[in-house]
Amino acid sequence: MIELKNVSKQYRQGARAVYALKDVSLSIQKGEFLSIMGASGSGKSTLLNLVGGLDQPSAGEVFINAKPLHGISDSELTLIRRRQVGFIFQFFNLLPLLTAIENVGLPLLVDGLPFTRVKPMAEAILHKIGLAARAEHRPEQLSGGEMQRVAIARALITNPAVLLADEPTGNLDSHTGEEILLLLKSLHEQGQTIIMVTHDSKAAAYGTRIITLKDGALSQDVAIGGPLA
Amino acid sequence: MNFSNLLRHISFKHIKLNKTQLALIMGGICLGVAAIVSIDIVNHSVLASFESAINHISGRAALMVSGPEAGFPEEFIEQIQSVTGVEYAVPVIETNANLAQGQGRSLVILGVDVLQDHQIRNYAISDESADIPDPLLFLARPDSILLTRSLADREQIKLDQEVKVQTVAGIHTFKVRGLLNPEGPAKVAGGDMAVMDLAAAQLAFGKEGRIDHIDLSLLPGEQLDTVKTRIQKVLPAGYEIDTPAGRTKQVELLLIHFRKAIRLTGFMAIFVGMYLIYNSVSISVVQRRKEIGILRALGVRRGEIIALFLGETLVISLCGSLLGVLLGLAMAKLTIHTISQIITEVYLKTTITDIAWSWPTLFQNAAMGILAGLAAAAFPAIASSRISPISAIRSLPYAENGSAQSSKTKIAATITLLLAILLLMLHKITGGRQIADATHFAVVLILLCISLHTPIFLKWFLDIFHLLLSKRLGAGGRLAGLNLQKNLARNAVVVASIFCSITLFVCSACLIHSFRQSVFAYIDSIIRADIFVSSGHPMTTGGSPSIPMPAEMLKEFEEIPGVLMAEPYRKVYTHFNGKRVLLAAFDVTARLSYCPAMLADGNREDLLRLLPDKEYIAVNEGLSAQHGLKPGDKVMLPTPSGPHAFGVAAVVVDYASDSGCLWMDIQTYRRIYQDHLVDMYELRLKPNTEIEPVCTTILERMGQKRRIFALPAGEFKEEVRKMLNRSFVVTNAVNIITLLIAALGIIVTLLASVLERTREIGVLRSIGMLRTQVAAIVIIESALIGAAAGLLGAAVGLLIGRLELEAFFQLNMGASISFHVHYAATALAILLAIILSALAGLYPAHRAAKTNIVEALAYE
Ligand SMILES: Nc1ncnc2c1ncn2[C@@H]1O[C@H](COP(=O)(O)OP(=O)(O)O)[C@@H](O)[C@H]1O
Ligand SMILES: [Mg+2]
Repeated sequence: MIELKNVSKQYRQGARAVYALKDVSLSIQKGEFLSIMGASGSGKSTLLNLVGGLDQPSAGEVFINAKPLHGISDSELTLIRRRQVGFIFQFFNLLPLLTAIENVGLPLLVDGLPFTRVKPMAEAILHKIGLAARAEHRPEQLSGGEMQRVAIARALITNPAVLLADEPTGNLDSHTGEEILLLLKSLHEQGQTIIMVTHDSKAAAYGTRIITLKDGALSQDVAIGGPLA
Repeated sequence: MNFSNLLRHISFKHIKLNKTQLALIMGGICLGVAAIVSIDIVNHSVLASFESAINHISGRAALMVSGPEAGFPEEFIEQIQSVTGVEYAVPVIETNANLAQGQGRSLVILGVDVLQDHQIRNYAISDESADIPDPLLFLARPDSILLTRSLADREQIKLDQEVKVQTVAGIHTFKVRGLLNPEGPAKVAGGDMAVMDLAAAQLAFGKEGRIDHIDLSLLPGEQLDTVKTRIQKVLPAGYEIDTPAGRTKQVELLLIHFRKAIRLTGFMAIFVGMYLIYNSVSISVVQRRKEIGILRALGVRRGEIIALFLGETLVISLCGSLLGVLLGLAMAKLTIHTISQIITEVYLKTTITDIAWSWPTLFQNAAMGILAGLAAAAFPAIASSRISPISAIRSLPYAENGSAQSSKTKIAATITLLLAILLLMLHKITGGRQIADATHFAVVLILLCISLHTPIFLKWFLDIFHLLLSKRLGAGGRLAGLNLQKNLARNAVVVASIFCSITLFVCSACLIHSFRQSVFAYIDSIIRADIFVSSGHPMTTGGSPSIPMPAEMLKEFEEIPGVLMAEPYRKVYTHFNGKRVLLAAFDVTARLSYCPAMLADGNREDLLRLLPDKEYIAVNEGLSAQHGLKPGDKVMLPTPSGPHAFGVAAVVVDYASDSGCLWMDIQTYRRIYQDHLVDMYELRLKPNTEIEPVCTTILERMGQKRRIFALPAGEFKEEVRKMLNRSFVVTNAVNIITLLIAALGIIVTLLASVLERTREIGVLRSIGMLRTQVAAIVIIESALIGAAAGLLGAAVGLLIGRLELEAFFQLNMGASISFHVHYAATALAILLAIILSALAGLYPAHRAAKTNIVEALAYE
């Protein structure tokens, strides 16, 4: 359901042009839990951003559910971000002004739903991930693990086609990180498609398939049975 | 609607969180709108008061015939009465006078034909004066006067009592034969008026055989324009025939410079207010960069981000504008009295009793405040929507945007600069007259261009700071400089906003200063006598009530021991090419024997050769520029006996009236205008004569007969200075408002820019920096920003001041007004920028010093 065809991404750093991605082709099926590995600077985030519609490729094609993400207007791309994908970041990226429940409901608020309708939905998800008691807290009153779970809840509220996580455990201690990975795993078991960037092979092992990037190119693509293997 | 969701869930939280900042911005807008509202109301009230005075005085008159200010022969009444279509034609003397008792209240005296005037005006004589209405009785006694009931009450004068009035012939006692109810003409000047018989008024005010205007009504069914043309045929050219509305229009024209100048200052306040918004929205965009990135990542469209910022601005400027309207009303109410005084001194006598305003204009001004706010917010709001979500979300953004200027801003800066230069050149080529606004526009463009260049300027400034100063300020100084350099783009926004206000302040301070210096130089060149004698306020330019004195008094002055010579000065207004210009008549030979009068074109010898008792005049630069007059040209002036040709002997420097001045020898004037009055006597004393005793002698000898002022030169010039300063009261007030708004801007921006650096400060503290050191860094940073902005602002202010001087003053007042740098104000502005900035850094510095290291570092 996600297709990348000969995708390249070029950045300009001063006068120099940097290839963050070079001619990457990849196809991801519904229900997959894909881990992306690679050294720092190898283009992992860039790839994720292209899939999530945060950016557009310099060359090549990207499709989500057969809909192209390349060559469309910023407004159309934004609507895809709003309705089709859920993002989870290393640094959580919650809005410090909003309470947990408001942060979770934000994507629906952005889509124009009144808060009265958003609230019960956000409450349900917070409950599901075990944070019901924290609903009225602001990010600064939450621990790292709790913040990341709020971020996951925010990503899930729109029922996205794919969940994109960029080093979701990178800023957490190993124990909390494991909790987050288990949460992702259980979501995957409920049928959620997930793409996760990590440079930790233990974390990558939660996925069903691991690809490795090297200098912006695909260097390895292995399917695995699961973390038990 | 998702916009309202964003506004409710995001914006209102920011608003709640940043109350101080918000209050400051709102205050800025409020002040800007208040300035423009009060200026509008003042403008409106001034005109409304003139209009109502004209309407009350005109009564049923459809047309009014007026001639030279000195009056014209009363024989014209019969000629006009005999014109077909004229129903009644009545003569009027309309003059200003003073009571010679109590506070010396000034009043308008109407001298009318008692038997006929009720055909034009309604006098409602109050009941207690019921035995008076017999006009013949009134006429039979030339000491009769009618006062309004309100004036009588104020001065505690009863019916049949006596009242002392200052006249040309000296203090004169009149008997109050009736009181007028506040209706029709009795409402003029807030009731400060009196009615006399025409003949008595002529005698008292030195206008024997002459009248000021003829009011006439039309026979039913007659066309206004046809009758007007018929009257024009019987009168010599140069007489004005106007409807009451036409007179209002004339007043409007007369006040046009005044109105323009204060409107311009009003717009300046709005402009600074706009800058404040521009700058606070820019800061807010920088501060909320990450939030915008997250919202964009979550699927908020560009347009919605723009709408978010505009929505916030709308709310703030709506509140600010509404408050501004209220404040403006209050300010107008508080200042209207002073304004009324200024107009009386400089232009025409007026008594403005209350402010006049209308809902639509208030609404318009509030709307302008809101629109200005939105327009100012538009640019940063659009910029905010260009923020890329990826780099905003990253903890360390890629290459900070704008640290090196983007090519787009470079192009924009170049284009604005080119446009500005083009406009200025256009202005120069066309001689400027047609497109004075081109310069204003060019100035705005230059400001814009320099704002776009602030990052470069700030970089230079910091480089110089490193070279010269930073070593002496220790680690704190070094770090402060580095900090500023690191966030060049963000700090440049702060610099831009402060610099703009400083520019406006320096610019207008220098403009006013230049004008004053020039006026003083002029006064010095023309006023060299030792004592100035007049019967009213010594600096009677426009319509303030100074009762002229008879020409014969000259001898009395010359007989006073110690007096070397006395010189008469007469000042009237005359129509010249449809404009009301000042005609100054004095003894040219005597005056030039001791005054180095300044000339713009022609020479002194011509003045001395051509003016005395000949049909020659001198014109001032304003007139020369407006009508293209050079020495040798001929001009026509209306005189009581019809238009008269005069040669132009020279172009002189004279700022006595902004609508133009003429000089004429007093002998010529008396011969042609048949007016032998004198407004002021200027006395020169014999060498080594003390001034004070002579003044005392003058008062002793002449003070009984009339109210008289004898001012030594020093005091006289002081009066002139005071008056000049008063005439700038509006400009000064707006200047202060501008500076206030600027101060608000400085505080807002620095507060915002320091508060967001909590984390960075945490890092500094964690590596062992003392609290005092941290605080010092923040304060040094703020002061550095202030210094950079102050210096840039002062430099640009001087440049723009020069340009505006050409476009505004030199065009209206003459090229002799040269640019003078107001060093004190310029230094003050720079100092203020530094001090205010350092002060604005105080609170954030305090906060920074108290920053909890762990929290600061943990918080992402
Ligand atoms: N916005 C950008 N501007 C300039 N260079 C970028 C930008 N984004 C990524 N890069 C460069 O592209 C390369 C890949 O970056 P990224 O995808 O973030 O790597 P990873 O996530 O694997 O660490 C790096 O060399 C990085 O410097
Ligand atoms: Mg990365």
